[in-house]
Amino acid sequence: MSVTADSAPAEPVSAHSVNVDRVLTLQGVSMRFGAFTALENVDVRFEPGLVHAVVGQNGAGKTTFSRVVTGIYTPSEGRVLLGGAPLRAGSVTEARRQGVDMVHQHFSSPPSMTIAETLEFFSSERRSFFSRRGLVREWQRRVDALGFDLDVSRRIRDLSVPERQSVEIVRALSGEARVIIFDEPTASMPAQAVDALLGRIRDLAAEGLTVIVVLHKLSEVFAVADTVTVLNRGIVTLPKTSIAEVTADEVTRHIIGDTGPAGSAPGDVDSGLEGDAVAVAAGDAARRGDAAPAEEARPASGEGVRTAILDVRGLSTVASPSDARLHEVDLVVDPGEIVGVAGVEGNGQLSLVEALVGIRDATGSIELDGVEVSKLGVVERRRHGLRVIPFERNVEGVSSTSAVWENHALGEVLRSPRRLLAVQKLRAAARRRLDAWGVSYRGLDQNAGELSGGNVQRLILARELDDEARLIIAAQPTRGLDVGAIAFVQRSLAELADRGNGVLLISTDLEELKGLADRIVVLRGGRHVAELPPSADLHEIGRAMLGGDGGTDSVAAPSGTETLGAQDA
Amino acid sequence: MRDLKPVLQAAGFVVLAFLLAAVIFQAAGYDIGAIGVGLVDGAIAGPGAFINTVRWALPLAVIGLGVAVCFRAGFFNVGAQGQLYTGAIASTAIALHLPGPAWLVTVAAVVAAVVAGALWSLIAAVLKVYTGADEVLTTLMLNFIGVLVLDYVASGPLKDVKGSGQVASSERVAEDVRLSDAFGASPTLIAITLLLAAAVWIWMARTKGGLTSKLAGRNPVMVRWQGGNPNRMVLSSFAFAGATAGLAGAMHVLGPAGRLVSNFSPDLGFTAVLVALVGLLSVPGVLIAAVFFGGLQAALQYLPVVSDLPRAGLDLIQGVIAVMITLQLRWQFKRRRERAQQAERQPTPAATTTASSEGSSSV
Repeated sequence: MSVTADSAPAEPVSAHSVNVDRVLTLQGVSMRFGAFTALENVDVRFEPGLVHAVVGQNGAGKTTFSRVVTGIYTPSEGRVLLGGAPLRAGSVTEARRQGVDMVHQHFSSPPSMTIAETLEFFSSERRSFFSRRGLVREWQRRVDALGFDLDVSRRIRDLSVPERQSVEIVRALSGEARVIIFDEPTASMPAQAVDALLGRIRDLAAEGLTVIVVLHKLSEVFAVADTVTVLNRGIVTLPKTSIAEVTADEVTRHIIGDTGPAGSAPGDVDSGLEGDAVAVAAGDAARRGDAAPAEEARPASGEGVRTAILDVRGLSTVASPSDARLHEVDLVVDPGEIVGVAGVEGNGQLSLVEALVGIRDATGSIELDGVEVSKLGVVERRRHGLRVIPFERNVEGVSSTSAVWENHALGEVLRSPRRLLAVQKLRAAARRRLDAWGVSYRGLDQNAGELSGGNVQRLILARELDDEARLIIAAQPTRGLDVGAIAFVQRSLAELADRGNGVLLISTDLEELKGLADRIVVLRGGRHVAELPPSADLHEIGRAMLGGDGGTDSVAAPSGTETLGAQDA
Repeated sequence: MRDLKPVLQAAGFVVLAFLLAAVIFQAAGYDIGAIGVGLVDGAIAGPGAFINTVRWALPLAVIGLGVAVCFRAGFFNVGAQGQLYTGAIASTAIALHLPGPAWLVTVAAVVAAVVAGALWSLIAAVLKVYTGADEVLTTLMLNFIGVLVLDYVASGPLKDVKGSGQVASSERVAEDVRLSDAFGASPTLIAITLLLAAAVWIWMARTKGGLTSKLAGRNPVMVRWQGGNPNRMVLSSFAFAGATAGLAGAMHVLGPAGRLVSNFSPDLGFTAVLVALVGLLSVPGVLIAAVFFGGLQAALQYLPVVSDLPRAGLDLIQGVIAVMITLQLRWQFKRRRERAQQAERQPTPAATTTASSEGSSSV
């Protein structure tokens, strides 16, 4: 049986009655975490012999989707059928036994084990006794039979990313898998290895397996998949469609959810989105209201050209397991400006923030308010006015088992050259600032972990947005907050910019970026790939984030706008 | 009081340990009444008992303060025993061989002990900073090396050739170089201990380093983002802990012992870890716990007079306390990790649900 990408129709494959036990069906699947709905009423049927792409933004429900399919999560409603029988949920092992296997985005194999040991460990066959040599011989035979070029006596930690991926695939194949799910398989892979992997994925489908690939790069979707299904905020916005029947622009539009305000999503799930929009509007209004005097003050105070608050040239970092490395990133934040950074998570945002803060080695120049700081440590950079609202407020932001006042004081204490502390003064300052920022807390000695998410964020704002702040790096500053807190944080950032400071806003919420930023910079694969005005439509930003349909951005842009215009009209 | 709960918890552990030990002693057929009387007499009531309690409380407090500083910064340095021994060796070598006025020899011997203990501790710190080696393993292993080095020195280079040869030990330190008599509770030793306690208290509560290391012990990532230097914190915490253990070594040799004996006080460094933990890593707590464990140590020496309970009997009490503290720490750690995992898993929904549940619970 040979199936090619272009000609494969989505449905007729069900005629292959032999493979019916390999059909994976989701019927009305919903997944809720408390009040949050991660998946809403998903109906989809994946046939064998085809590569099915599932795409969506961060938070669209892709990970939840793959966890439901592999049985890690039991759906709140609906069911998952494999070959007509319900899939027993519970654990990965349970799913594996039934023939559903997942190749993970992050590899879970123990680094000190050899490939042979790993494969044996995950194998469903149970041998109680074996010799080391026998193990290597057995698994080498199987790996060779599958056509992989791997020496099974090597240790996991010595393998490259593509090699680790190969181990995962061998593991899945040796377990009699009927359905294989790839969770963002290309995310941490060097570009030159991607083609080989995609070829491998196609081969698996050609052998008659049902292959589901969770992806976010459109070029890869079109390179590998036979069908595409789009998730947006937990809802299937594009039901499974044969790849031949859609264009990259259509898929992008479904991913971003820019299909008209009314039709995109039902109210109960979307209420958060509307809240965001309102909040952005509020922040925006507050900002524009104050903007006029600031605008007038700007040319007056600067003699000639004012120096940029942040001037980054050729910033590059080395590879890291957690995020894409930066390649020669240039970035300027002028006084009074909010520069937004858009991008799919994992495309260099963390690398950028860590390199700017000074906790990740980087090459290139970083000028902060006219001072070259790339060789300075974190404290020195902070003394030059760098402040950060970090990604994870309870990890990088506060120590949740320490007192509120200590969390507030640390920033000032570390910046100050004094070694002795005036504790009463620090406590008084904390009380004054926390009250001014509207943090609701019981006492200065209360642990920060007892505060709500919004109050923790206010505590961080109170610490970071002091009078000496010049550049504020706000990384996902509104993630996980309620509507009121979101509006507050956004207003605070806008006011800060209006006082002539610079703000670098990293967000995956495009509405937020459009509402707040003066310019939007798009990071993809650690590179600065586009710079757009806030008036750019979501579609345009989305295409820059996702990489379009393989063509160059400049060619693709006008046609995309046209399509969108036609749809709206 | 700010937070009474942990204090009660620590006290509860101690009481529980005694009850548990009592049950075991009873079951093993010992007379608990006599053991109880023996404990009280040996630690407080008997003639010279309290002096003996103080004698043991002093080194426990000194080492315990260093351990507390290290633990508070999040580094589980359990190498006090080896650091104590290297300090004792250095101070003996100086006290026996450095010519000069007695006061100068004393000061030099104390300084040498402090430096030697710090350097010994820094081995583990350097390994941690440059190779990421876990400090629990390295400090623990260095203890064994310390024991053997002491054995070698006491039976080799510093051996008292005129001695009986039964015990490997050095010559006696000259009387005018010593800090106390054989009872070991001299004003000098007490003053050194209290001065150290005061200094540690000021450092913990009133300095940049104290605040930074306290927060780093709870959340090192956050401190790093704020500009704390984790490597410097490792080096300075370890050096300080080693210095205090070394100081205790000098206080032992120049104090009650008067000479260096192979494998002296083999539990001191480990008991000091308990002192630091039961004392909740705070200065007043460490002092109180040191007196308590000092009392146990004193009672241990007296107990054979009134009961045939073997030495291991009292070790049992300490052991039970250690096990309970470990369980509690492990439990806290596990809870923290579970929370961290929850936050990590499914960032968006988790963050949303946490935020909403926290929002509803906060007043």
